[in-house]
Amino acid sequence: MSFFADVIICREAVGSSGTAAAGFMGFSFVGKWVAAMSERSLSRLQLHDLHLAQGGRTVLEHVDGDIKPGAITALIGANGAGKSTLIQAIMGELRPISGKVICTVDKARRAWLPQQLALDLTFPMSVEELVMTGSWPSHGALKGYCAAHYRKGRDIMARLGISHLAHRPLGELSGGQRQRALIGRTLMQEAELLLLDEPFANVDSDTVDILIRILRQMADEGVTIIIVLHDMDHLSRLADEVLMLSGGHGRWVAPSALSHQHASAKVVPFALGGRHAGTA
Amino acid sequence: MLALLDAWFVAPFDYGFMRRAVVGGLALSLAAPPLGVFLVLRGMSLIGDAMAHAILPGVALGFLLAGFSLPVMSAGGVLFGVMVALLAGAVSKMGGQREDAAMASFFIISLAAGVLLISMGGSSVDLTHVLFGSILAINSTALLLIASISTLIVIILAIIFRALVVECLDPLFLRGQSRRSSWVHSVFLGLLVLNLTAGFQTLGTLMAVGLMMLPATAARFWSKRLEGLIGIAVVLAMIASTGGLLISFHLDTPSGPSIILLAGVGYLLSALFGRYHSLAAKLRRKTTPLALEQSS
Repeated sequence: MSFFADVIICREAVGSSGTAAAGFMGFSFVGKWVAAMSERSLSRLQLHDLHLAQGGRTVLEHVDGDIKPGAITALIGANGAGKSTLIQAIMGELRPISGKVICTVDKARRAWLPQQLALDLTFPMSVEELVMTGSWPSHGALKGYCAAHYRKGRDIMARLGISHLAHRPLGELSGGQRQRALIGRTLMQEAELLLLDEPFANVDSDTVDILIRILRQMADEGVTIIIVLHDMDHLSRLADEVLMLSGGHGRWVAPSALSHQHASAKVVPFALGGRHAGTA
Repeated sequence: MLALLDAWFVAPFDYGFMRRAVVGGLALSLAAPPLGVFLVLRGMSLIGDAMAHAILPGVALGFLLAGFSLPVMSAGGVLFGVMVALLAGAVSKMGGQREDAAMASFFIISLAAGVLLISMGGSSVDLTHVLFGSILAINSTALLLIASISTLIVIILAIIFRALVVECLDPLFLRGQSRRSSWVHSVFLGLLVLNLTAGFQTLGTLMAVGLMMLPATAARFWSKRLEGLIGIAVVLAMIASTGGLLISFHLDTPSGPSIILLAGVGYLLSALFGRYHSLAAKLRRKTTPLALEQSS
């Protein structure tokens, strides 16, 4: 089945580029491309006077910000401060009451790893198969995977140190192994916007080290990364920008200021007592 | 000995209706179990049952309008099945009620309406026929219909396969990737309805679910991989449908229950002796040594 789909997709590609009307279309495409490139140097994710509510209750008001590409933005705040709510709004899962989220990243290149995963771990799927589903933006539902793509998947698993788990069912993985596999999927997806909600909860320190290294590499390649953090140590190692949510407002603070101010504290001040509980 | 084998396994197929029934059964055995595997994996095992009840009024209406004509009855069944699925989806979206609750309400209304319709227009013999199926009634038109529907199901399932797998595993991811992600679920329910209408001729409306669910639940004891589950379920279904037909021929029992009971025996044996999570596996409790696992 997938073979036929391949052929059809190739034909379509040849057909559209070969038409006489391509001149006009090409022109508008170049225009779009120039616009996209100029946007690329600016931020690809902007928050404008955002007002968010959950179940009739205002969670956040007047949140503004340019999330810089190639930088890792940490989102901090106490439980119920609205971190997860803000992430939902950015992903387009929650409609703002007023204000807007402007995101120029293609929907298929946005990756979101929520705290409470919707992942069905009883489903019979191996680590490699999970990583390969990340090729959806380029392959969709029908196109067959070629050898090059399998190689790319294996390279990604090697980078994350999970090559030996390739054929292990998802249900048999530890928390850290599962988190690595999921990051593998976002790498396969070539995500340009990555939203992580407490990715280091219930994860071993080796995994934390590897993930921090990989996230830094992704940021260097221009990926916009937003990450909900509670641990001061992780914050000082990762964050380039910090958006602190408290009292229904967002405040941008310098990570250096935070780490100097609370050099002795292990846990981010607003998050005290919240490391093991769920967030709103 | 040879004569006995001949009398048991070959001679029945001298009759045309047995040949048609076995081909119909094998066609169904290709299409139904994969759907069942997905239902089991999604924790929706009872939805198949609900849909089987839902198609009954449509089948009955077809029976009232055109007599015992399989195409008309099937069309009615598909119509009602899709309607109930859509209604259940709409009610659950509108009222915040869960889809299974809405489905449960609609299918029981459908069942009552179906039984009422049949008894209005026919005898209790007709009712038993629709509810429990009969191999005698499979003519060439019916066979062609069953084979076409089964082929269609297999083809559509192949097309939506990856989307369906990703949707089962991580619906949030699929929603981010594709605007058409909500279609996957609807198409899958449509396939379910199609399959049940194809199955009611041999198995009866209520029994058609059995060929879908029993091989799928039994396969869970034999494999941990999706391909394995589907393959094993299809083989089990084929054995059950052919064997059940032979039993029904020799012992003069209704075909639907015979096929499903044989599949049920397969399920019980799997639960007792299967490779994973079965009683025997619990007693064995053997594990691979660490050294061996690392070298593999």
